[in-house]
Amino acid sequence: MTARERILGRVREALRERDPVEHPGAFEGWRPRTPRSPVDGLVHLLDAAGGEVVHQPNLDAATSWLATFCGGFDSSAVGESVPAALRPPIPTASPDIAPLGVSVARGAVAETGSLIMDARDGRRAQLLVPTHVVFLRVEHVYATLREALLDMADDLPSAIGLHSGPSKSADIGQILVKGVHGPGRLVAVLIGGDE
Amino acid sequence: MSFSGPTNYRRESAKAIRDKPEVRDSVTAATRTFDAHRVHAWGQIDADRWRDWARDVKTHVLTHLDQYLEQAERQLTSNGTRVHWAESADDALTILGEIVREDGVESAVKAKSMLSEELGVNRHLEGLGVHVRETDLGEYIIQLLDEPPSHIVGPAIHRSVDDCRKLFHERLGTPLDADPDELADAARDALRAEFLAADLGISGGNFLAADSGTIALIENEGNIRLSTSLPRVHVAFVGIEKLVPRLEDVSAFLQLTSRAATGQPIGNFVSLIQGPRRSDEVDGPEEVHVVLVDNGRTRLLADEAAWEALRCVRCGACLNICPVYRQTGGHPYGWTYSGPIGAIIAPGMLGLEEALPLPHASSLCGACVDVCPVRIPIPELLVHWREKAVEQGLTPKVETVGLKAYTKMAQRPGLFSAAGAVLRHVPLGLGGRALPVLGGWMQERSAPKSSPKSFLQMWKEGIE
Amino acid sequence: MVRLLRHLGIDVEVPEGQTCCGQPAYNSGQPEEAQSMAEHTLKVFADAEYVVLPSGSCAGMMRCFYPGLVGSDLRVASLVERTYELSQFLRTVLEVDSLGSGLQGRRVAYHHGCHALRELGVKDEPVALLAGCGAEVVPWEADEECCGFGGLFSAKLPEASAAMADRKIDTLPDVDFVTSADGGCLLQLTGRAQKRGTGTAFVHLASALWRGVAE
Repeated sequence: MTARERILGRVREALRERDPVEHPGAFEGWRPRTPRSPVDGLVHLLDAAGGEVVHQPNLDAATSWLATFCGGFDSSAVGESVPAALRPPIPTASPDIAPLGVSVARGAVAETGSLIMDARDGRRAQLLVPTHVVFLRVEHVYATLREALLDMADDLPSAIGLHSGPSKSADIGQILVKGVHGPGRLVAVLIGGDE
Repeated sequence: MSFSGPTNYRRESAKAIRDKPEVRDSVTAATRTFDAHRVHAWGQIDADRWRDWARDVKTHVLTHLDQYLEQAERQLTSNGTRVHWAESADDALTILGEIVREDGVESAVKAKSMLSEELGVNRHLEGLGVHVRETDLGEYIIQLLDEPPSHIVGPAIHRSVDDCRKLFHERLGTPLDADPDELADAARDALRAEFLAADLGISGGNFLAADSGTIALIENEGNIRLSTSLPRVHVAFVGIEKLVPRLEDVSAFLQLTSRAATGQPIGNFVSLIQGPRRSDEVDGPEEVHVVLVDNGRTRLLADEAAWEALRCVRCGACLNICPVYRQTGGHPYGWTYSGPIGAIIAPGMLGLEEALPLPHASSLCGACVDVCPVRIPIPELLVHWREKAVEQGLTPKVETVGLKAYTKMAQRPGLFSAAGAVLRHVPLGLGGRALPVLGGWMQERSAPKSSPKSFLQMWKEGIE
Repeated sequence: MVRLLRHLGIDVEVPEGQTCCGQPAYNSGQPEEAQSMAEHTLKVFADAEYVVLPSGSCAGMMRCFYPGLVGSDLRVASLVERTYELSQFLRTVLEVDSLGSGLQGRRVAYHHGCHALRELGVKDEPVALLAGCGAEVVPWEADEECCGFGGLFSAKLPEASAAMADRKIDTLPDVDFVTSADGGCLLQLTGRAQKRGTGTAFVHLASALWRGVAE
């Protein structure tokens, strides 16, 4: 008998006299006391978590914004799924040395304030850079995490990252510090809206 | 550093209280803060309904655990993940050793994982000549100090900023008056090099979704995302009780656990890992292994009452509210899991004799019942283990015989009154220390002032 | 408590056969002994219209644990429904608002014993009764935290128990006295405070409310 068989055997033995309990069914998310639209909900939580949120009405506006924003950086690491219009006009560098990373989120979740990062975009550029800029279309904001996961279930990459704020820790005497170890600055750029 | 075992809890807790008042202060401040955040976060949601649901999902999984384990294995395997089964800590470490050998691992980075502490992963890897670095800031601090973790969520809550200043000054060369941001920068630089050089990343697993074969991990720092993305091999140790039926269920557990642990709607970084990097991906580990670990969990599952403790999501909320834990932090419990949850799983996983006196390390105040997100009936289970200890003859005779005698007297009111009269008139200050129960009382408190008459006497004489 | 109830027009009986509710045995893992004491207690109070206890922990034991201990006995169900902790009885059954103004100008801290608070759900009742007598019940950071008594716990783990009492005492605001519905808690806090020489006054809720009856 293998370890697997022995473990499963002990589990079955333990459950022999136990009444099975049925799955209670779907939990559709908590009911927020102050309901907001998905975009407002996302912005509210990202902001509360220390993230920065920028709205740009369309792709052209986002391109201009990015050009200005990049003024403070000498290079960037760019995600694989970033379209040409959103590639920063500065030299590219490897994620482990670039001061800036630019990504496109697959979607976002309003109830948790999360950006959905897909491994196909390239994980290193999402994690190693001190400043992380993430572009997202407003139509891709889900109200709940459950909806987001159900929608993605048939097309999951090796890993999904839910990024809901800049990296932080309170392990040094309960005092908040940022940027250990993921990006200490997270900028979410929402494209679209009332055009 | 390894754990000494729960047996010396009384001595260790007494020592901690007497010799380290600063630990009591740090732990009290940290746990009160965590709990305040939880209260705020639960106030924003219908926590009662959510907790009922979570309890029911976990109970469902546990009563169908074999089926879900098999489903998870099938799914993980079809995702390209290698699945291993470990009955004991030794088995888990042997499996790890084989992976280290096969893959030529020389250095490893670790994400915070209570299970890896339970198994003794670090010591084993070091024995194999592998350099191991803890990357969670709190775990990094205690690794440098060679101490075990003090709390499930905040391993270094027993240490102050000044402790960190001294430590980082010695080990990283930061100035003695460095502020927390400077200390954090130094840690980030030191650990970055380790992330980039490591061959192996080790994690635990907060949840394992059976339907999609997804390992879910919650954090705030990003070190888990880095540890599970940069090295070419990722090994996840997952306790068999961590299963959840569906990925959509995981969505609710991620939020409930985060709100219970730190008061956040969700941790700042969540990893949902299906398997190794795909052909259309530019990075990610080439190999992902999941080691499904028993190590006493099936023994706990077999207990007719305490199996409910396997619902635990390791949020630490019970530690944060426990007035007993708060006086000492986790070290005196002598095991990976401390506080109320430690006290109810230790007897199942380690055996009752080895776990004593932990089930007695509680005044049964019940505060934990208010905060557990999966509604584990902790006080009931503490009493359950105390009963088992009596049945197995592990409770001192002076207590069991004493209570039997007391019960006999309590059924004979005349005798009961007479005994009361004796207590009222014996000078407890002098004789008290010699008596088993009274000795403990007298050590820390003044003797109660006795009334010359019992209440029943006064009643008989007439109360105006 | 007897004086207080009589003052409110209640006919009070104190059955002399009463001894112990059985909680110490139950909590120590000796349910058979607890069951014997429960059966004795049921007999002693069988004819009562109401059973009122100046103790949250005994009332909690009876209301919450007797049904499980003594089985589906109808006597148990009926007795349990008629059993109350004192402040619960005064507010819920007698619907008392104000007993008098004897505590006018008094600053009081209320210790919420764990059994009354968590097993019986008693929280507002004692505070309302004290305020109803004119007392100012002051905010106290640690008011709902366990005092460290826990019955035999206080003797088995005296260091942790004392540290818990210290937490209560060290966070006390400046008050005329501290009161609570549980004798065990008061014993614990008084014993520790006296050992430390803090000079704090501790009074049982029944005594405090009797003082409140005065005009």
